[in-house]
Amino acid sequence: MSNLVSIEGLTVTFTGRGKPVRAVDHVSLEVEKGSVLVLLGESGSGKSVTLRSLLRLHPEKTSKVSGRIIVDGHDIMALSKTGIGDVRGRTVSMIFQEPMLALDPVYTLGQQITETILRHENVTPEQAHARALELFEKVQIPSPERRLNAYPHEMSGGMRQRAMIALALACRPKVLLADEPTTALDATVQIQILLLLRALQRELGLSIVFVTHDIGVAVEIADKIAVMYAGRIVESGSVADILHTPRHPYTQGLLASRVERAKKGDRLKTIPGSPPDLTALPPGCAFAPRCDKTTAACREQVPSLVTGAYDHAVACIHA
Amino acid sequence: MSTAPDTLATDPRDRGGPAQSLLSINGLVKHFPVKGSGFFGRGGVVRAVDGVSFDIRKGETLGVVGESGCGKSTTARLLMHLIKPDHGEIIFDGEKVGIDLPLSEYRRQVQMVFQDSYASLNPRLTIEDSITFGPRIHGMAETAARAKAHDLLARVGLDPSRFAGRYPHELSGGQRQRVNIARALALDPRLLILDEAVSALDKSVEAQVLNLLQDLKADFGLTYMFISHDLNVVRFMVDRVMVMYLGTVAELGEGEAVFASPSHPYTAALLASMPKMDPSERTIEAPLTGDPPNPINPPSGCRFHPRCKLAEPVCATIQPSLTASAPGTSQAACLALVPQSGHTLAARLSLPVPDIESMLMPEASA
Repeated sequence: MSNLVSIEGLTVTFTGRGKPVRAVDHVSLEVEKGSVLVLLGESGSGKSVTLRSLLRLHPEKTSKVSGRIIVDGHDIMALSKTGIGDVRGRTVSMIFQEPMLALDPVYTLGQQITETILRHENVTPEQAHARALELFEKVQIPSPERRLNAYPHEMSGGMRQRAMIALALACRPKVLLADEPTTALDATVQIQILLLLRALQRELGLSIVFVTHDIGVAVEIADKIAVMYAGRIVESGSVADILHTPRHPYTQGLLASRVERAKKGDRLKTIPGSPPDLTALPPGCAFAPRCDKTTAACREQVPSLVTGAYDHAVACIHA
Repeated sequence: MSTAPDTLATDPRDRGGPAQSLLSINGLVKHFPVKGSGFFGRGGVVRAVDGVSFDIRKGETLGVVGESGCGKSTTARLLMHLIKPDHGEIIFDGEKVGIDLPLSEYRRQVQMVFQDSYASLNPRLTIEDSITFGPRIHGMAETAARAKAHDLLARVGLDPSRFAGRYPHELSGGQRQRVNIARALALDPRLLILDEAVSALDKSVEAQVLNLLQDLKADFGLTYMFISHDLNVVRFMVDRVMVMYLGTVAELGEGEAVFASPSHPYTAALLASMPKMDPSERTIEAPLTGDPPNPINPPSGCRFHPRCKLAEPVCATIQPSLTASAPGTSQAACLALVPQSGHTLAARLSLPVPDIESMLMPEASA
């Protein structure tokens, strides 16, 4: 299968205030056509920053980005301003955690969707409206004709998230980026949105890069999972491999501390300490200060991601 | 359910003995007016909490779960007297709050930890000052209050010599939540209300705080009310669980029983909505469609009936009250469990408890 997205050695450093923060450090990953990759990690692990790099959303003045990003043949970093504008929405589009912030409050949803279609395609406003209606039906919004005339604040959280998915799919993108799109939703609505994304992905042959901190959500949607820690990918592989045979001590610790696997009243196994400060990372493996397998070698050199059988890769000298 | 820790037997503050519930809530109601709807017409009301009654037993952890808008946080705020109830009484260890038991005395014994660890700390007070604030208001001498703060910081796993003088922005989220827990314990409360207290934490830190909460409960002989949207955490933490829906109690019972075989169709759907943690057993069909409805105009009869797959015409007319369908099972507010309610499933009640989950998802199980 061909890779629709390929990232090589992506490094993102923010230089806004104070010490520079290296939020993403030599991340390389690939997404096959029609598959779902989940970037799993805690706050500050670099998962969202990696995602945003795919659309070149970081402010140029305060961020330094190096590496190579190829999406469907487009060299994202080399594109001109209009060039990246053509890619956004057309080839790659994105949905966010908080649709209320991502949607424009003073335009109806119908206006926002037709605007996007008219920007990218040579169609009449009537055709664009018809497409918007079709999209609302596709994302299963009840009474779609009426909802197209609604403003974002008139809809419930789940409906807004569906509307945002419709907007993201307006120009038939090949890659959908999802930044924690279900985190703010109730469990009963979250599962509806995950099932919708899975159905759309199958139907439209989309590739999805999905960012989450929730392993349960990852398991419901992912084909492959890449676990991130302190700006680096520490382990990647199929969902089943990550879940059943995790090899990196961080992934192992994360899974062992899950309450799902504990009996009531048990003491949970925990990872000591807290996620590291990105401005003061240790020289070697970033997880070394919290790891129980740490040896002197761990503190000297950053372990590289080594790929084993079934594309199961791990960045740990003890794995 | 777990037995009360030994500390309770010797607790000088204990009045009613171990059989007396620590907190009894009777017919709690809170409606919020909706402003600015209509020119002449009166605005609607949000029926945030609409007739809720329950007990919290001494030494237990009572979990409260439900979707957004179900009234779980309003209930917590009512218990804390942060907002005044429209109706209903709160009885703490046999004494009516506000009548037999003065509010200041009650507040000393009931403390709360909120979700947002940063917003709940004063950014201009050091950690130590935040923790000593309550005891000093309640008349403790400064040196004693400081000694207490240092002791509490050590108990929640923060080295007092390193952390006491820091400000909230100098701590991580997990450390701040430990400070909030220490502050809540500073007045030696008997009941701690934890409102989504671990929800904002990273998973690796959440596990640490859950362990801490279990340790503190045993050490201080505490009783918890544990509010969370995360059913996995609730299953792990609680003795009994209360499921709320649109301002009412849908189900109340022993945690293990409720999670193993939920009596209310809503509880069953809520449990089935949780991610499965097994890629080979992914969810095929969403157990519930649509969003949680608006508590401004809740449906008539059983509030869950428009989303319920067991609903019959009778469900739109009669509001069910909590009933246990068989001894030892949880109490649920569902007409299908009330004999002679007019619901066709109720006719079969002498038979074993119906397998609600398979009835909920006939397509999936077929």
